[in-house]
Amino acid sequence: MPETPREPLDVDLRGLTRRYGVRRGVEAVTLAVPRGSLFGFLGPNGAGKTTVIRVILGFLRPTEGTARAMGLDCWRESHKVKAQVGSIPGDLRLWPWLNGHSALKLFSRIRGVDMVKGGRRLAEQLDLDLGVRVRAMSRGMRQKLGLILALAHDPGLLVLDEPTTALDPLMQDRLREILHARAAAGRTVFFSSHTLSEVEAICQRVAIVRQGRIVADSTLDELKRQAGHDVEIVFRAGAGAAAPPAGLTLSRRSPDRWAGEHRGPLEPLLSFLAGVPVEDVTIRKPDLEQLFRRYYDAPGGEGAGG
Amino acid sequence: MNLGLLLRAWRETLWTSLVFAGVLGAVSAIFAYALPRVQARFMQRSFVPPAVREFRDALFGFDSAGAGVSEVAFSIAWSHPVILALLSAHAIVVCTRLPAGEIERGTADVLFALPVSRLKLYASETAAWLGVALLVLGAIPLGSYVGSRFIDPAYRPDWSRLGVVFVNLAFVYAAIGCGSLLAATLTDRRTRAVLAVVIATVFSILINFLYTLDPALAFTKKLAFLSVLDYYRPIRTLMDGTWPVRDLAILGGVVAGFWALAAAHFVRRDLTTT
Repeated sequence: MPETPREPLDVDLRGLTRRYGVRRGVEAVTLAVPRGSLFGFLGPNGAGKTTVIRVILGFLRPTEGTARAMGLDCWRESHKVKAQVGSIPGDLRLWPWLNGHSALKLFSRIRGVDMVKGGRRLAEQLDLDLGVRVRAMSRGMRQKLGLILALAHDPGLLVLDEPTTALDPLMQDRLREILHARAAAGRTVFFSSHTLSEVEAICQRVAIVRQGRIVADSTLDELKRQAGHDVEIVFRAGAGAAAPPAGLTLSRRSPDRWAGEHRGPLEPLLSFLAGVPVEDVTIRKPDLEQLFRRYYDAPGGEGAGG
Repeated sequence: MNLGLLLRAWRETLWTSLVFAGVLGAVSAIFAYALPRVQARFMQRSFVPPAVREFRDALFGFDSAGAGVSEVAFSIAWSHPVILALLSAHAIVVCTRLPAGEIERGTADVLFALPVSRLKLYASETAAWLGVALLVLGAIPLGSYVGSRFIDPAYRPDWSRLGVVFVNLAFVYAAIGCGSLLAATLTDRRTRAVLAVVIATVFSILINFLYTLDPALAFTKKLAFLSVLDYYRPIRTLMDGTWPVRDLAILGGVVAGFWALAAAHFVRRDLTTT
């Protein structure tokens, strides 16, 4: 039987664990980012997003598991990986004596590819004066220069850690357009952030990391579909003393009022409600922000969905 | 080696090195002008206090009895604490940049994301250091030459012998620099690396003199082999003109050992940049 051709993976992490002595980094992270995708990597501060990025860029050696990018081992073939990667760190600091022009020339020389032409085009798109020295730049200008240096050599894989930091909303839109265009041209974007709204606006697929572990890895639509319903019931005559139906997990409970989350078919809940005196009922799908808060807050990394 | 990284490192170290070179050249010129005169006056006196002589011999690492004005004067000039301190400071400033300096100032994330192997990065940094080292080291003989133009020709040094001393001094400088490279790869904080090398260098120099300060410290004479100055004896070279092969071999071994250890550690270590 002929083998089904597999989608090439630009980031392929399998059981990746990285510890800092006794301190937790990330634990058994498995991620597959196909070529040409816009992949969001979400998590609260300190969840392990930057650790994963540092492993991809060859700064850190995995304690266990494997990390490959662009088909190459991230540690052993790090410099070959980085030749095909454009990246921007979460806390960008550039050498203060550079200006935009000299930075493009220097990076071209180091990378061995012409970044000047592409860099100038990006500077126009992002509205950056390349003649200003880094030491005289505002934070937003530095961030733009960092993005230009990450994008100007047209890398196959973009690894962006909180890239919209310090960008105004207009520039965030421009960046979004640029990233969509890159993905349409077959480039892969690995977009790390702790802000759901920007990941939602850019990415097709997300992974959520919490306390060093992946707690969700799916498309946004799928995550929404997998989530349960928020349920709130106001009882009459203290009828809330009864046992809750199957599938309903209560987070607040009194004889007059229940609040919680329902998973699975709704029939048992509706049958239960038909048999008790009820004053008011609310059953709704959680919005995305609530959904992600659940992933972030849930003890032990158990989130809202699958 | 990567030319772009070499130019980057030069851009960051050139101005500092020019300042060091300027100061070293000026100090060296002043010593070359003043010390032979002072020494000539000093030698006219028949009696040299034993403590002064002991300290001087510790500085030289060699019994200077029978040395002429020029030999003593230029030995002092080329092993004077000011010269050694400036050279050490330059080596430490330049050689603690990678990776500790880059991590401490927050630019490591950008530097290490560039597609250059760590060995190439390290080699480029070393090459950049060697470039500015020539500038700084070269200022010393240049200063000596300029200063000696204004003294009695009889007191001028034998330049070929001073050339051998220059090579020996360069090895001392390289040993301190490679020690700094090693310290910078062992930590994420440049301040720590600098402190470690400064303490080690000061200890290494002091150990050579301690026995002259108090008879109770006589036992430290046995530890003099730990002193970098034990392998740098300009008076002997200026007096007999021979190459200090053993000293150069030991210093060369230290340089090669520190450099290789630092390189091996740097290519294997994790880079945690926060």
